[in-house]
Amino acid sequence: MLNILITGVGGQGTVLAAKVLAQAAQERGWQVRTAETIGMAQRGGSVVSHVRMGNDGEEVYAPLLAHASADLIIAFEPAEAARVLPYLAPAGSLVTARTAIQPVTAALSTDPYEGARMVAQLAEAFADRPDQLTIIDDERLLAAVGNRKALNIVLLASAVARGYLPLSVDDLRRAVAACVKPRFVELNDHAIDVALAAERSA
Amino acid sequence: MTKKLLMGNEAIAHAALEAGVRVVAGYPGTPSSEIVEMVAKERAAGRAEGVHVEWSTNEKAALELLGGASYAGARCLYTCKQMGLNVASDPLMCLNYVGVKGGLVLIVADDPGPISSQTEQDTRRFGSFSKVPVLDPSTPDQAFAMVKAAFELSERYRTPVIVRPTTRVDHASAFFDIADRTRARDLIDGGFVRDPSHWVIFPRRAYEAHGEINERLPQIARDYASDTVFAAFNPLYGPGLAPLSAPDAVAAQLGIVAGGISAAYTLEALRLVEARAAACGAKVPAYRFWQVGTPYPFPEDEAARFAQGLERVIVFEELDSVLEDALTLAAGRRHLAYDVLGKESGDTRDRGENDVDDIAARLVRFFGLEEALAADDGVAPVALPQDAQLPARPPVLCPGCPHRGSFYAIKRALGKTPAVLCGDIGCYTLGNAQPLDAVDTCLCMGAGITQAQGFSVVEPGRKVIAYVGDSTFFASGMTGIANAAYNGHDITVVVLDNATTAMTGAQPHPGTGVTLMGPKNEPISIEAVLAACNFKKIVHADPLDLDAAIAAAHEAIFYEGPSAVLFESPCIQLVRPQAPVEIDHELCTGCKRCITEIGCPGIGFDPAAPGPKSGKRGTAFVDASLCNGCGLCVDVCPFSVIVPAAEAAGAKSDAAKEGGAHA
Repeated sequence: MLNILITGVGGQGTVLAAKVLAQAAQERGWQVRTAETIGMAQRGGSVVSHVRMGNDGEEVYAPLLAHASADLIIAFEPAEAARVLPYLAPAGSLVTARTAIQPVTAALSTDPYEGARMVAQLAEAFADRPDQLTIIDDERLLAAVGNRKALNIVLLASAVARGYLPLSVDDLRRAVAACVKPRFVELNDHAIDVALAAERSA
Repeated sequence: MTKKLLMGNEAIAHAALEAGVRVVAGYPGTPSSEIVEMVAKERAAGRAEGVHVEWSTNEKAALELLGGASYAGARCLYTCKQMGLNVASDPLMCLNYVGVKGGLVLIVADDPGPISSQTEQDTRRFGSFSKVPVLDPSTPDQAFAMVKAAFELSERYRTPVIVRPTTRVDHASAFFDIADRTRARDLIDGGFVRDPSHWVIFPRRAYEAHGEINERLPQIARDYASDTVFAAFNPLYGPGLAPLSAPDAVAAQLGIVAGGISAAYTLEALRLVEARAAACGAKVPAYRFWQVGTPYPFPEDEAARFAQGLERVIVFEELDSVLEDALTLAAGRRHLAYDVLGKESGDTRDRGENDVDDIAARLVRFFGLEEALAADDGVAPVALPQDAQLPARPPVLCPGCPHRGSFYAIKRALGKTPAVLCGDIGCYTLGNAQPLDAVDTCLCMGAGITQAQGFSVVEPGRKVIAYVGDSTFFASGMTGIANAAYNGHDITVVVLDNATTAMTGAQPHPGTGVTLMGPKNEPISIEAVLAACNFKKIVHADPLDLDAAIAAAHEAIFYEGPSAVLFESPCIQLVRPQAPVEIDHELCTGCKRCITEIGCPGIGFDPAAPGPKSGKRGTAFVDASLCNGCGLCVDVCPFSVIVPAAEAAGAKSDAAKEGGAHA
């Protein structure tokens, strides 16, 4: 069983990432179930997508992960990564974007949320298993892609490049092409290339 | 056939189309909204032939319309969220007595948690209250099968049938084989057949009909066991999750019963517990697990067979203790010697959602394996440092949301005048959050307008404001409007007209004139409705033009008698964003007024970035990936250092271009 959690802030594009993974699993012939956050939380709140694949031929009964069972967490925002950490299996991995999104509550308070501090705390949490953590310089990569909306594909491609998923780059390209409108395929292929190049030079 | 990833709600729509549904109607409400949308999409694509689909004005209108179509022999699908059925309860109760002809299936989506609702009411109870059969899917796949079966059941017994998915079924996805084209089934008997003794309900007919209902319910409960289609919704499992053909195939003292998504969680939890037991060399006692997918009428004969020889039964279900109560009743009625553990006994969660972790922990106790499974595997989980603090991230009004301007204008117009601010259902409930803090009440659809009248009667010294969205206005605001004028209540209705039903994903409504069938009809004017209801003071403003908005609010609020402000500006989901505003770092004083007055997510504050004018305070900054350039903050900044998109474009054309790329 392969359990993946995708998390971010409402509006960041987590749903497409979950769809792409489901498509890739389906093309491998694995049973797959996903679950989405839809409703009030989409208005700038914390959102989570669950993806579960029976990659050893198991039946997937429920769409939601149990705690300490995620093989991979893909986070679009560092505090959201930290929020779902209890879902990560001890041997599981985390790919997270570095850029923080300030909630209004933090801007109002005298103790604002500092993204850099959160990223440092995540690094500390993985200090005894650094290979299981990848922090993506999303600002730099998305500038190279030329479109901020490609964050989801950059994160997915980084996870594949790091070997966190039993999927190949070709699996990913095919799944993306099946999930986005034809006119966006080229942009997303470019996003995958940018993420792969960054991983190679890391 | 095509294989497609479908959300539970989308699968429900496809199942209804494959069952030949001819008329589909509902009112948007999370978690049910995607069903009608998917039907409309299939119809618009030319793949669903002969179907009529609409967003009705509200749930009562939808169900009554479908009642008529069903009398004429059409298969009909109704959709709503749990509280929507409260609005349609009047036609539902009566329809069951009159009976239907074309299959009438109601999808009523419950919301355990609740995640996007005011209540945790359980529609299975509505089934027993209205004496209407209920099917309860645990997965999107089962929902797909149940919708088709529900149409058959509805026509077999001429009863409406409820299918009750919950949020985690509605919004979970799986792959489905779906028909490439569907066609609405022809009308039974070619159309409506007059028969006043049947279709006109009178007390004498109601008495007879009650008897017919009482006869058919036990028959339906028997069908749930004997009809293989329905029996498949109540599967039995033994140790190792092996399917059981009959309860006595496993000698056991322990029984597990679950309904809805809890049945899927229980299967996962059993797999987890058995794996952990195997790893520890512990033995899981023999058990039987029964999923009840047909909670009403409860298949009590099946329950009694399941319970043979059992000493204890634990029940996992969300919302109410429906299965627990039914099993307890069966034990008493049949003198069966099993104990029932569940919500009422304090052995399972009494509210909110269940999950795999909680059910697994309770099963470990139920099996008496706490000690055997206590040892962990020695690998420490990844944990944040002790001092790590996570920022709260509640939902907020979007950057650029016109409601922000409306709330702020009302507050500014009121100043220190004592007032009660009645809210309603929609995105604008979020106006209660800091710093706007502009909503004092929220009850149910349309209640803001009528509750305001109650305040005005008993507290004449306070101004009373009633916010209402454009879709809510039509759904259930208009009766309150008539009441205000008729009884002369001094309230100010603030219509937050963003030209859509925003919270549920931007559905059209009577004020837009846009229909799901293609042609656009003449929009119904909210102003004309108010004027027809004798509102003598009606003012308009663009809520993002702060001075005009405050002036309009002031004029209406301080008018004696029923008055209205129409704040008109489209939802940001409907329009392209403008270039982000800019804050001049050199001039920002760090006063934070832009944050503490309107709380837009597009503006942050960096205490580590003091500017020449801010002393040690730090400065505000614009998150260009979020700002949509509405410009409300430009009017709020007391030092005029926030520059609107147009001026920024003039001053720094390169920067504006970069920002505009986000659009």
